[in-house]
Amino acid sequence: MALSSSLSRDPVPSTAPRRLAHLTATGLRAVTGRHWTLRIGAVVLALVLTVLLLTPWIAPYDPAHQDLGQRLSGPGAHHLLGTDQLGRDILSRLMYGGRFSVSIAAVTLLLSAVIGTVIGAFSARRGGIVDEVVMRTTDLLISIPDVIVALFLIAAFGTGYGMLIAALTIVGWTPFARLMRGLALEINSREYIEAAEALGCSKVFIVFRHVIPNALRPVLSLGFLRFGHKLITVGGLSYVGLGVQPPDSDWGAMLLDAQPYMQRLPLLVIAPGAAIFVTALSVTLIGHGMELKRKRRTDAS
Amino acid sequence: MVRFIVRRLLVLLITLLAVSAATFAIPYASGGDPVRTILRSRVSDQALDPSAIAALRSELGLDRPILVQYLSWLGRAVRGDFGMSFTSRTPVDQLLGTAIGVSGTLAVIAIGLAFLAALPLGTLAAMRPGKRVDNGVTLLTQSFVAVPEYWLAPILVLVFSRYLGWLPSAGWRDPTSIILPALTLALRPMAYFTQVTRAAMSDVLASPYMTAARSRGLSGGQALLRHGLRNALLPVMTLFSLWFAGLLGGSVVVEVIFAIPGMGRLVYSAVVNHDVPLIQGGILCTVALAVLITTVTDLLYALINPAVRVRDGAV
Repeated sequence: MALSSSLSRDPVPSTAPRRLAHLTATGLRAVTGRHWTLRIGAVVLALVLTVLLLTPWIAPYDPAHQDLGQRLSGPGAHHLLGTDQLGRDILSRLMYGGRFSVSIAAVTLLLSAVIGTVIGAFSARRGGIVDEVVMRTTDLLISIPDVIVALFLIAAFGTGYGMLIAALTIVGWTPFARLMRGLALEINSREYIEAAEALGCSKVFIVFRHVIPNALRPVLSLGFLRFGHKLITVGGLSYVGLGVQPPDSDWGAMLLDAQPYMQRLPLLVIAPGAAIFVTALSVTLIGHGMELKRKRRTDAS
Repeated sequence: MVRFIVRRLLVLLITLLAVSAATFAIPYASGGDPVRTILRSRVSDQALDPSAIAALRSELGLDRPILVQYLSWLGRAVRGDFGMSFTSRTPVDQLLGTAIGVSGTLAVIAIGLAFLAALPLGTLAAMRPGKRVDNGVTLLTQSFVAVPEYWLAPILVLVFSRYLGWLPSAGWRDPTSIILPALTLALRPMAYFTQVTRAAMSDVLASPYMTAARSRGLSGGQALLRHGLRNALLPVMTLFSLWFAGLLGGSVVVEVIFAIPGMGRLVYSAVVNHDVPLIQGGILCTVALAVLITTVTDLLYALINPAVRVRDGAV
């Protein structure tokens, strides 16, 4: 309810160019005037995402193209960030690698958030033994390192993208479930839920129509805060050779390949790591800014 | 309280049973036939001798019903017997014992480092909310969370062991070889400890008993040390055990980079070498430890908590 009212605050103009201008203004307003961490994070993330989206058109080289005469060359006019041990352009490899890293992390995050939110909301709605079981499960799952879950799945089923995503989701949903349950307990005591119940709405309808939409903001900020962790874990699994498999290559796999040559060309190690760092940091900063704003609002009310 | 404890222990038991069943099933999931999996890991040959398969099957007792196999495996696992490691021909429990010691030492040092750095940083930030110090600490902790350890570690090695030659780049024999991995591991817990310290400390600073202490004539520093710190520590302390449990088996990447013979690297190499008994033992052991530590922390916290509330009210 709160969400829909905030969206319809301004009357949306009808003609196409006006609507575009309105959208741009809304987007700008979302960034300016917020906490400084959110502003910086949003700008950096937008840049990274734009580059990754446009990669097939703006990448200077094919990431697999080998220029064996130009191995381990430093930054220069032809290769902005230099070349790796096989003479492949580092900048192009960074751009293509980022598409794997970021999309895998985003998919696991989305899955974790959706599963966790639904489980948390229903757990709070149901209460009793179901709630107890769900909460104890999250308590214990949260303590299991997700790398160990990944190793377990890889030992049982072998490597692959599905395995990677599953490994990070099995434990990843728990913080969302905890958060959603807490929020849902609070929302469940409000009058509009009582009204919906009095009208004879089903549990499922109430959860999806009223409970979850009203808890979206905090869940979203938790999602932003968890993204960096996912990105780093995915890269870490690739780094030990269990994540993204050749010929595909993400930032973690690039770091692994760079290992033997790092003394000759430190940039080979620094560049992919910096890419992970900058991306993870920008998303975390957005989450932090959102969280602060929410806290301030709840403190004020 | 008794009901609480019993319920927690029951959940613990069920979880451990579920995890043990899952680890037991590893060789069945990968190829369908564990004997083939085992033989393939030994001879790495597709053309396997059928008589060898049959011999190994009866030797390992794999021709019995699966539930019987699981129960006898579980019976031995409870006593710490996971069989022999394929690759090193050593009993798995021996390997696990030494590895837990190594990982435990590393985890304790890393968490200690993190705590020592986090306490002053978090307190400083809490004392000047919204000011430059606070913003600086925020940016620092957010950056630390975003640093991949497999990026920091090679850079540290490059600087401190290749260029400067001060510290060994890998290994575990030398006490100085602990420094780089401990630093790498300490970064992320440090960031989280700082955030929690800051939050706890700003709650404490806003509390009436701090105002009371100040009005009794204690200076800001005295009040902070005698009343503030003590009350802010508890939430940080409970984080310790969670991180300890996490680092015990979860520092796979750092242990691999620095060639540290700990749990993470042991399980990792077992997975890479298809060393089934070691994988089963390692994963079950890691998860059991993590779950056990969490449950014990929960119980301890429940024991302490009422006392804390009484103390807070009395001050």
